[in-house]
Amino acid sequence: MSEPHSVVQVRNVRKSYRRDSFNIEVLKGIDLEIQHGEYVALMGPSGSGKSTLLNLLAGIDQPTGGSLSVAGQDVASLGESDLARWRHRHIGFIFQFYNLLPVLTAFENVELPLTLTRLPKAARRKKVQTALEVVGLADRMTHYPRQLSGGQEQRVAIARAIVTDPTLLLADEPTGDLDAESAAEVLDLLDQLNRDFEKAIIMVTHDPQAAGRAGRLVRLHKGQLVNDGD
Amino acid sequence: MGKLILRNLLRNKMRTLLTLSSVSLALFLFTLGSAFLAAIESTEGTAANRVVVRHRVSLTFSLPEAYAQRLATLDHVTAVTPLQWFGGTYIDQKPENFFPRFGSDPDTLFDVFSDYQITPEVLDAWRADRSGFIAGRILAEKYGWEVGDRITVKGDIFPLDLDLVFSGIFEQPDAESQEKQLFFHRRYMEEAMGNPGIIGTYWLNLDAAENVPAVTRAAEEMFANSAAPVRAETEEAFALSFLEMLGNVRLLLGAIGLAIIISILFITANTMAMAARDRTREVAVLRTLGFQRGQVTSLVLFESLLVGVLGAVLGAGLGALLVSGFAKAMESVFPVFGTMQASPQILSIALAVGLAIGLLSGVVPAFAASGRSIVDGLRRVG
Repeated sequence: MSEPHSVVQVRNVRKSYRRDSFNIEVLKGIDLEIQHGEYVALMGPSGSGKSTLLNLLAGIDQPTGGSLSVAGQDVASLGESDLARWRHRHIGFIFQFYNLLPVLTAFENVELPLTLTRLPKAARRKKVQTALEVVGLADRMTHYPRQLSGGQEQRVAIARAIVTDPTLLLADEPTGDLDAESAAEVLDLLDQLNRDFEKAIIMVTHDPQAAGRAGRLVRLHKGQLVNDGD
Repeated sequence: MGKLILRNLLRNKMRTLLTLSSVSLALFLFTLGSAFLAAIESTEGTAANRVVVRHRVSLTFSLPEAYAQRLATLDHVTAVTPLQWFGGTYIDQKPENFFPRFGSDPDTLFDVFSDYQITPEVLDAWRADRSGFIAGRILAEKYGWEVGDRITVKGDIFPLDLDLVFSGIFEQPDAESQEKQLFFHRRYMEEAMGNPGIIGTYWLNLDAAENVPAVTRAAEEMFANSAAPVRAETEEAFALSFLEMLGNVRLLLGAIGLAIIISILFITANTMAMAARDRTREVAVLRTLGFQRGQVTSLVLFESLLVGVLGAVLGAGLGALLVSGFAKAMESVFPVFGTMQASPQILSIALAVGLAIGLLSGVVPAFAASGRSIVDGLRRVG
């Protein structure tokens, strides 16, 4: 039986890819449990499987073996449509390169996930404004991504990730493309989301300073967890 | 979604403009070609039980006057009338002052063209005046001719000028193109030229349409061994035979049109594939956010459909405008082109072709975009 506050339960998860005639094992039996409101940093060298694990947790990739429960749902058991709905409801994803849609304004980018709901326009507007206020960009609503700095773009991307009030925030090297000052702002924002809104966050990072902000550090090496401690 | 489709469409304005232009151009040409074909193949005003007899070799060869009596003896023939193309110049040689002028026999003309309407008073007045002429209602109204007005038609094919007096109008409400003709006494022209006995065509009226094959065969056999063998055919076939002078226009235009549309289809498909490929990463982001595969497919497909439909509306719309202007300019020169129009049927087909171009060019890129795994899409750079 799962813990009542457990957001992520990963049991013996394996993931391998076939490249031509080679079978590449990326994750070799991962066990991991993350509680509600926990802030976890996932570190490891390139190719250690960090992003793969993050993708599995986000439901955008499927494990080869093992079980994976996120927000109380066995992710592998969901069909494609249900998985998309589940992702929309429970996962907020923050990318290294922001991945905002360049043809939409900051407001419209943040509103995008809400267009999948039946919320009335006024309610959507309110939620988007709140999300942009949280990230400190309420005055940049009508700006297009090209009119924003990298740090601002990432903050808009964070607003987009939190606007649906997801159960779990997944951040894939969120400061990897930012200068030190912008990176600090983004990390402050993640701290705030974890502290004030009790969001569970899993952040993949190469940066020890960024990892230091998290409550727990998880290290991956060659597809296996090598350390799971403070 | 609609906003995103529109914004994506306008993202690369030059690419969209060029694609839209190519679809528009294809459907513009399609509309023009279809309207042209419809016009030249139009048999408006032809009667199924009318037969035209002309020289077997060419329309430029004349038939003897004596043929009229012999043709009248054929079974099922109820009336025979001669018609001689005069040509000539009225007022000046501007296209708008060109209209068909025929030397005819007032005593038999309306026995054969019984679908034309003329009052007995006008017919009697015309028959009584050797220099009289009648004109279709539209033609008479165009020039404002009143009964008794005199006009002069300068000869070009024939070495004489016709001084004619307006006797009145005739009508053919079912075929307006027929109301743009002028008929005068063929005898008047013959006498002025010393009775050369020139007759270009004989027009026969039959008792029933089903007797056309028998009569045409009999007419051709009757003069098979004479100095002037004939070709007999229905009025419709006679009208369409002018097309033969242009070769197989339908096949030619059809082949060109099809080639253009297929080329445009490939161009548009390539452009849509490029557009979709450019957005592979964005598609993956949308799916990460919770968009369904079908929604992402629709995004690309609707964008391509929009290009197809907009292209069709623009192309067919411009084509319709041009056709309308061309028809106005040509109605007096070549009445057949005066009837030229981009009919609702042609416009509907153009729209359907535009939709098909949009659909076919978008379907592969759309499914390719949504079919790729999210992880692969996110890895894509650019």
